[in-house]
Formats: sequence, structure tokens, C-alpha cells
Amino acid sequence: MRSSPLRSVAEANPSATESWSIHLDNVSVTYPNGTTALQGISLDIAPGEMVSIVGLSGSGKSTLIRTINGLVPATSGTVTVGPHNLSGLRGRRLRQLRGHIGMIFQGFNLADRANVYRNVLVGRFAHSPTYRSLLGITTSRDRELALRSLQSVGILDKVWARAGQLSGGQKQRVAIARALAQEPSVMLADEPVASLDPPTAHAVMNDLRRINAERGLTVVVNIHLMDLARAYTMRMIGLRNGEVVYDGSAVDATERDFEEIYGRPIQPDDRLGQ
Amino acid sequence: MSSLPLEAELPPKPRNHLRAALGVAAFLMLTIATCVPAIGGIEIDLRAIARNWSNGSNLLSQMLQPDFTFLPRTIGPMLETLQMALVGAVAAAFVSVPLTLWAAAPTNPNKATRRLVRTVINIVRSVPDLVYATVLVAMIGVGALPGLLTLFLFNLGVVVKLVSEAIDSGDHSYMEAGRAAGGSQLQINRTTALPQSWPLFANQWLYALELNVRISAILGIVGAGGIGRLLDERRAFYAYDDVAVTILEILVVVVLIEFASNSLRKRLV
Repeated sequence: MRSSPLRSVAEANPSATESWSIHLDNVSVTYPNGTTALQGISLDIAPGEMVSIVGLSGSGKSTLIRTINGLVPATSGTVTVGPHNLSGLRGRRLRQLRGHIGMIFQGFNLADRANVYRNVLVGRFAHSPTYRSLLGITTSRDRELALRSLQSVGILDKVWARAGQLSGGQKQRVAIARALAQEPSVMLADEPVASLDPPTAHAVMNDLRRINAERGLTVVVNIHLMDLARAYTMRMIGLRNGEVVYDGSAVDATERDFEEIYGRPIQPDDRLGQ
Repeated sequence: MSSLPLEAELPPKPRNHLRAALGVAAFLMLTIATCVPAIGGIEIDLRAIARNWSNGSNLLSQMLQPDFTFLPRTIGPMLETLQMALVGAVAAAFVSVPLTLWAAAPTNPNKATRRLVRTVINIVRSVPDLVYATVLVAMIGVGALPGLLTLFLFNLGVVVKLVSEAIDSGDHSYMEAGRAAGGSQLQINRTTALPQSWPLFANQWLYALELNVRISAILGIVGAGGIGRLLDERRAFYAYDDVAVTILEILVVVVLIEFASNSLRKRLV
């Protein structure tokens, strides 16, 4: 009984999402306190690509990924996502664009005291008028999208559990489901496995790779571990002190390339292991 | 652990003897100043206790003989007190939700409206409850209504202030996710911040109810309804045996409500 309404959405929207490209042209970000996080970044990411951004903490990769959905505005340069130019976008139009860009975080960023279902409905914000959220009205389509997203990451059985009661891996899955409920055209992931143990980290990376392969979704993953970047992504962008120091194949990246990105010799901590 | 001379490496602890000495001196002088009537300090005549002791002991001995036949007459006013306490707390609970979210920084990034709400709430809070009751009785007459309004205003101040400060100091990483998904502040507040803050609210709502039972017992003294009115009336007749029964009853009810509210609040967190 439960799976049939879920399947009907899938059939009604065989390709509900189109995949978007990402272009950064000479983007710099300087924070109000004077810290320069990014300097003259230019990047082209094609639709359907799975790209890792590698760098140490403080290299600017968190800032870079946040310029793509406007959580951090570019101080100069232009950011283009799909058909939209982010510069000058504000208010409702910025929120609508963000509705097409899913994002997951290192700390999962779930409302721990709300249940999983409600957390996933957050992904429908940009697609529902405020009055509806205010009255707590959920359309049957929103409900089906939320449940289908949970099903696709394998935790539909936790739908009524409080988010705070889940394990780290389950929380990140809920966060992925929340992003998928947006029917996104781009998926951003900011250090998605840094708070997880190695087996769970691999499982979450596999989820991201599957989303990229099955839906053809553009995926950008921030990561500081070299073996994960090599194993799960085709292309790797190395960031150091807010500048791109490597842009090429992830599999073929040598130890020297990583030492160049890190700005120091490789350490055991730079690998996750199995 | 290590054999290094610890004292040599330890940075000197910052000390400011002068500032400490000045602080102590200022405190002492203020204390002395408030005790000297000649320069505007309060007048305290401890001999009054001894002088009036016979009155006091007389009263105490009457109070120690409570007249329990008076008890049935107190039931009605006591129920009125409890009704005022409950209705005031519930009404304040409803109104406190939007005001609190408006007064907290994470749920209202707009500085101007946040300051406005906070200022109004601080003014509401700074007026003592008996002043509200006195003024409201003069405005709308003797009865339960002015008492109810007093409790409502008092509760609103307490709940909005305490809960908004608790929200301010909380962790709100989930808001970044709501923003990244394209949510408006209102959507984020309604769908995630509200369930997240629900235990904070419930805790203060119960605390407000607890305070209300205590306060509403004396609001009647200025004519704002409830058991306080009966208390005041019996005292005016020097019927201290009746007063004693009433006070005992208030004590029992307050302790019961506090006990119930405490055990409920423990389950919340």
C-alpha cells in the first residue's frame, strides 16, 4: 500500500530534475572582518559532473561551495548556476534559485527535536508558499516527494522518529533526503563525512555517487581526505589559501599533487582508510 | 608528568589589587550611606520589635488557632484565584509565541523590529504586578478581570524575556539548511525553530502558571479578585483565625501546584 503512491510520483515525473552547470568567473570573497577567503577563482563544472574540492581547513572550500547557492555572496566576479546569474539576486528570487540547489553539511544541520518527516519537508520550502508552511499544510505532492526521498536513501522506516535520536550516518541520510526532496538540479556537500566513522563515511559517499549516476545530478563535494576524493570523484579541484592550485583528474592525482594542495608533506590523517 | 620547572613557564596571573580595593571601598561606603538617616539612608528602629511585641504575640496566638469551620467559604475565592492563574497563563502562552520569535536574534535577523519588541517587553516587565493590578482596578473596576490582565502582562514579560534569551544562546545550525533550501525566515521559524524551542516554551509556561498561583493570592488585596480579597476582608475584621485558615490553604495549594509543575518540567528536558 505504502509503495504505490510513492511510485506514482516517480512515474509522473520521470525526469523532474534537469542537471545544471556551474560557472565561476574570477570570483573573490572578502569577509566583512577583512579576511580574504577566495581570490580570483574561475571554474567550469559541466552538468552531471561529480567534482571534489580538496583542501585543508581554512583553504576556502567552505566559502567556495557557499558562493554557489549565495549563502556567501561573491565580493567580485560572477557566479552562474544553470541559467541563473547569482549576482544581484536577492529576496524571493534568490530563495527560488536556492530551491533548485540541494546542500548537505558536515554537522547535518537537522532540527533535532523535530521528527524526520518535518526535517525533510524543509526541502520543500522554496516550492511552497509561506502561508502554507505557516498553517502547517502539506500538499500530497510534497508528502510523496519527502517520503520518496527517504525511501531512496533507505530510511523510510525512521520517518516518525525524532531526528536527534538517529545515529550520525542516519542523520546525514535524512539530510540527503531533505536535499533530494527539493528535486535539485545541483547537489552541494560541505565535508559531508567529516563527522562520521569510516564505514558510514563510505556509505554516505556511495549515496552521493549513486545520486550522481542515477539522476545525472551535478554534485560538488568538499572533502579534505585524499583517498575519498580519488575513490569517489572523477575530477578534483585543489584549493589552497583561497586559490585553485589543482584542477584535473582525481584518480591520476599524485602524492606530489596532494602535497602541493596541502602545502605540506602527506600525513596519515589525510587518508580515511576502509 | 614532565620534569620541566612549571613555575618558570607559568605566565603571571593577571591581578589588579587597586581595582579590587576600590570596589570593596565603594561597596562599604554605599552600605554605610544607606544606613545613616541623616544623609538620606533608611531609618531602621530595631527597638520597635521589642516595643510592639505584645501585639505581635497576641496576633500570633490567634493565628495559631485556625478556625477550620471557615474553610468552606474559602473554596469559591480559591477556585477564582486558580481560574485567573490558569486563564492568564494560557492567554499569555498563546501571545508569547510570535513575540518571543520576534525578540530572539536567530529567529528575527531584523535588528530594528527585534529591538522594538525587546524594549516593549522590558517596559512591560519592569512594572511591578501590584501596580498593574491597582491601576487596572481603578480603570475597569473591582473583580477578576483586572487580576487576569495583570497576570497576562506579567507572564508575557517573563516568558518572552526568558525564552528569547534561551533561543539566543542556543545552537541553530538547522537554520543554515533551511536557508540553503530557499526557505524564508517565517518558514524556517514555523517548521524548525518552533519545534526546536517547544521545550523552552513549555518550561516557562509552567513556571508562569506556578508564579500566577502565588501572585494571584495577593492580587485581591488591591481588589483584583480571588482569595486575596477574602484574606483582606477577614484581616480588616481582625478575624485572624479565619486569616490563618486562608493562609494555610494558599500554602497548600501553592506547594501542590509547584510540585505538579516541577515534575512536569522535569519530563520536558
